[in-house]
Amino acid sequence: MRFVGRAPRRYWLIALGVIVFAGLPTQVTSFQSLEWAEVLIFAIVIMGLNLLIGYSGQISLGHGAFMAVGAYTTAILVHRYHVEYLVTIPIAGLLTGLVGFFLGIPALRLSPLYLALATFALAVITPSLIKRPENLTQGTQGILLPPQQPPDWASSTFAAVTGGPAMTSDQWLYYLCFIAAIILFWVAWNVVRRRPGRALMAIRDGEVAAAASGVNVAGYKTLAFGLSAFYAGVAGALYALATGFVSPDTFPVSLSFQLLVGAVIGGLGSIAGPLFGGIFTFWLPIISSQFVQTQDWIPDQVASVFKNAGPAVTYGALLILIMIFAPNGLAGLILSAYARLRSRLRGVGERTSGQLPPDPQTV
Amino acid sequence: MDEFLQQVLSGIAAGGIYASLALALVLIYNAMGLVNFAQGEMAMFATFLAFTLIGHGISYWIALPVTIAIAFIGGIVIQRIVIRPVERAPVLTLVIVTLGLATLINGLAGFFFGYLPRSFPSPFSVQTVDILGAAASWQDLGVMAVSGVVLVLVFFMLQRTSVGLAMRAAAHNPEASRLLGIRVSWMLALGWGLASAVGAVSGIMVAPILYLEPNMMQTVIIYAFAAAVLGGIESPLGAVIGGLIVGVTVNLAGTYLPGVGGDLQLAVAFAIIIAVLVIRPNGLLGRRAMRRA
Amino acid sequence: MSALLELDGVRAGYGHTRVLHGVSMSVGDGDVVALLGANGAGKTTTLRAITGGVRWDGIINFAGHSLHRATTETIVRMGIAHVPEGRGVLTELTVEENLRLGAYLRRDGDGIAKDYDRVFGYFPILRERRKLSASTLSGGEQQMLALARALLMRPKLLLLDEPSLGLAPLVVRSIFDIIRAVNESDRVAVLLVEQNARIALELSSRAYVLEVGRVAVEGESAKLKNQESVRRSYLGY
Repeated sequence: MRFVGRAPRRYWLIALGVIVFAGLPTQVTSFQSLEWAEVLIFAIVIMGLNLLIGYSGQISLGHGAFMAVGAYTTAILVHRYHVEYLVTIPIAGLLTGLVGFFLGIPALRLSPLYLALATFALAVITPSLIKRPENLTQGTQGILLPPQQPPDWASSTFAAVTGGPAMTSDQWLYYLCFIAAIILFWVAWNVVRRRPGRALMAIRDGEVAAAASGVNVAGYKTLAFGLSAFYAGVAGALYALATGFVSPDTFPVSLSFQLLVGAVIGGLGSIAGPLFGGIFTFWLPIISSQFVQTQDWIPDQVASVFKNAGPAVTYGALLILIMIFAPNGLAGLILSAYARLRSRLRGVGERTSGQLPPDPQTV
Repeated sequence: MDEFLQQVLSGIAAGGIYASLALALVLIYNAMGLVNFAQGEMAMFATFLAFTLIGHGISYWIALPVTIAIAFIGGIVIQRIVIRPVERAPVLTLVIVTLGLATLINGLAGFFFGYLPRSFPSPFSVQTVDILGAAASWQDLGVMAVSGVVLVLVFFMLQRTSVGLAMRAAAHNPEASRLLGIRVSWMLALGWGLASAVGAVSGIMVAPILYLEPNMMQTVIIYAFAAAVLGGIESPLGAVIGGLIVGVTVNLAGTYLPGVGGDLQLAVAFAIIIAVLVIRPNGLLGRRAMRRA
Repeated sequence: MSALLELDGVRAGYGHTRVLHGVSMSVGDGDVVALLGANGAGKTTTLRAITGGVRWDGIINFAGHSLHRATTETIVRMGIAHVPEGRGVLTELTVEENLRLGAYLRRDGDGIAKDYDRVFGYFPILRERRKLSASTLSGGEQQMLALARALLMRPKLLLLDEPSLGLAPLVVRSIFDIIRAVNESDRVAVLLVEQNARIALELSSRAYVLEVGRVAVEGESAKLKNQESVRRSYLGY
C-alpha cells in the first residue's frame, strides 16, 4: 500500500467512486445496470485474486472454478431447496472459501509454476466435474434462476429519488453487487492494512525471511487461498443471480484466464486495481467485437470474417501492448502518470531513470 | 491382448505428438522460466501454412521441412518483436503476454483461414500392419517415426553442437554467458525458433487425426503441459518420456476405464500429474521446481 | 602513447547509489596491475564497468576503442576475459562443456587443441573430472575451471575478481604462479582485484588502491609493498 503522504486524497477518490457507482443506475438503462453489475462481480473476484497474487505472491489459474462453486451453490440452494436467495450468497462464499482453504493446503507444496499448472488443471476439469452429478447440478442442462424482484422499500426509495419508475430486478441486482463490492472492498482494505496484510506481503517478498521473522507462512498462505476463494464464491453466487442461468459451459478455462489477465492489467498489489480489472474483463471482449463492425472502411465480406476473428486479434494485441507499455497495469499507469504530473508541477526537473545523479561538489 | 498392444502403440504415437509440443514448452521454460501459453497456437498456425502449401500442389514431404523452417523463423521473429520488450519484466507479465499472443494468433488464424474444420492430408495410409499380433496403423507408425527423427535431431543439436551448448549456457546463466561472448539475446531468439519448429511438427502430425481448425491444439497443449510437468519442466528428455507416458496412459484409460470419455481423459491426464507431483514435486527427471533466468 | 586499457574519471553506480566517483587508471600491454582496497571500495564495480555490467559515465578505452554503451558480449569479443566474483562457472554443464565455452569465440582448431593441452597441464584435475558436472568441483577447483576457461579465450586482457577468495593458501599460490606464467609467456595483461594485498603486490608491477570509489594511492607495487604507511592505512598489514 503506497500512502506516501497522499492518504487524505485517496479517501476522497474512494468516496467519489462510491458516489459515482451508487448513482449509476439512475443514469443508465436497466440493462446497462446489469452490465455494470457484472463489472462489479468481476471486480469482486479480482479483489480476491489480487489478495492472492498481489499480496501473498501465490498464483491461481483456476478462479473460474471457484466462481463455479459459488454459482452452483446458490443455484442449487435456490432452485432445488428453495432457500431465500439473499441467504445463499454468504453461504456460497463460505463454502467456496472452505474449499479454497483446503485446496490451499496441498498448494503449499507446489512451486509457483506447478501451482499455476495445478490450478489450471482445476479450471480445465471443472466443467466435466459439474456435469457428472446430474441429480444435483442438472448436468449439461444447467439451472435456471428466476429474476429477483426488489423489496418494496428499495423500490419505492428508488422511485422517490429518481422521480421515475420503480426499481427493476436488474437494478436491484446491481445494488446487491454494489453493496457486496463495498463490503468486500472494506474487508480487503483492512486485511491489507493490518497485520494479515503485512504478513502476506512479507511472505510475497521472501518466504524464508518471513518465516525467520516468525510469520506463520503456511497459515497465512492457506488463509489467502481461502479468502480469495471466498471472494470468488460470493461473486459466483451474484453471477448466477445476475445472469439467471448456470451450466457447465458458463465457467470455461478461458474465464480463469480472463480473470488473471484482468487482475494483472488492473494492477496487482494496488487497491484500485480490481476495479480497473473488472472494467477491463467485462468490457474489452465486447468492445473488441464491436470495434470492427463500427469501422466503415472495412468491406462487408472482410467484416463478417472479422466478426469471428476480430475480437481475438484485438484482445490479444491489446494485452500484449498493455504489458509492454504498462506492466504495472492500468492502476500503475495512472499512479505513475499522476506522480510524474505532480513532480513536474512542483518544478523538479524530470530525471529519467538510468542517468547517474550529478557528481556532488567536492572541495 | 491384441487390443491392449494396439492401444499402447496408438498411445505411443499420440505420445510422440505430445512429446514434441512438450519439448517446445521445455525449451522455452529453460530459456526464460515461463510456460509459453501460445505454443499450441503457434503450432496450429504453422500447420495451416503447411496446409496452404500442400493445397498449392507442393508435395507433403517438401511442405513439411519448409513449414518447419518457416516456423523456426517465425519463432525468432516473435521473440524479437513481442518478447524482447518485456524480457526483464516479472514472470507474470510474460505469462500474460503469451496469453495475449495465443489469443492474437488464434484470431489471425481464424481471419486468414476461417473456422471451418479442414481435412488434412497424411502421407501415411490408415491401413494396418501386423506387429507382434497387433494391428498397428501406418499412420501411427509414421507419426512415431517423424516425431522420433525430429526429437533426435533436436537432442543432437542441443547436446553436440556449439550453438546448442551456447543456448543451454544462455538459458542456465545469462550473465556468465555474456562474459563468454555469447549473444544471450539471440540465443533466446534461437530457443524460440527451435521451440516453434518442434511445435510445428506436433501440429502437422496431429492435424490428420483432429481436423485442422484454429482451436485444434487446445486439448493437445493441455496434454503437453501434463507431459512436461510429469517429466520435470526443465528436462527435455523428461518431456519426451512424459509425453509417451501420458499418451499411453490416457489411451488405455479411455479404453479400459468405464465412463472415461473424451473430456474425462483430460482429467486422467491431470490425475497423473497431481499424483506424480505429490510423490516427486519436481517431476520424474526434474531437478529444481522453479528457476528464473 | 595509449595503454591497452584506460579509465578516466569513471563514475558508476547502482540505481541511485553512486559507487565510483571518478576512477582513473591504466593497464598497458602485458602489464599485471593490482586493484586493491577494502570491501565496498568499488573494486568489483570497476571491473563490472569495464565489461558493461553496470552503467557508467566517463571514459573507458580498450585498445583505442571506447567501451561506452557497448554490450558485454561485444566487449568480451574485443579480447577481454572477465572472471567475476563467484567465478561464473556454469554448474549445469560438465567441466568439458564449460571449457568448450571458453573456446566458443575461436575458430582456430589447432590452436584450441594446443590450448586445451596447456590448460590441462596447468590444472590436471580438470582433465580428470572433465566429464563430470561442474557442480561436483570444490571451490578451488571451480576457480581453476573459471581461470582455465578464461585462458582458453586467449584474451588480451584478463580481469580477475578476487581469485583467492575462500581458497587454501597452497591453492592460491599455485593459481597465482599460473597467472604469472601465462602473463609471461602470452603477454596477457592482467587487472587483478584482490583483498589479499600481499600476494597481489607480489604478482603485479603496478597497483591502485581504491577508497570509497576513488583512487587513493597508486604506484609501483615494489614501492608500495615497502611503504609501511600505505600498508597500514590501506592494505591492512
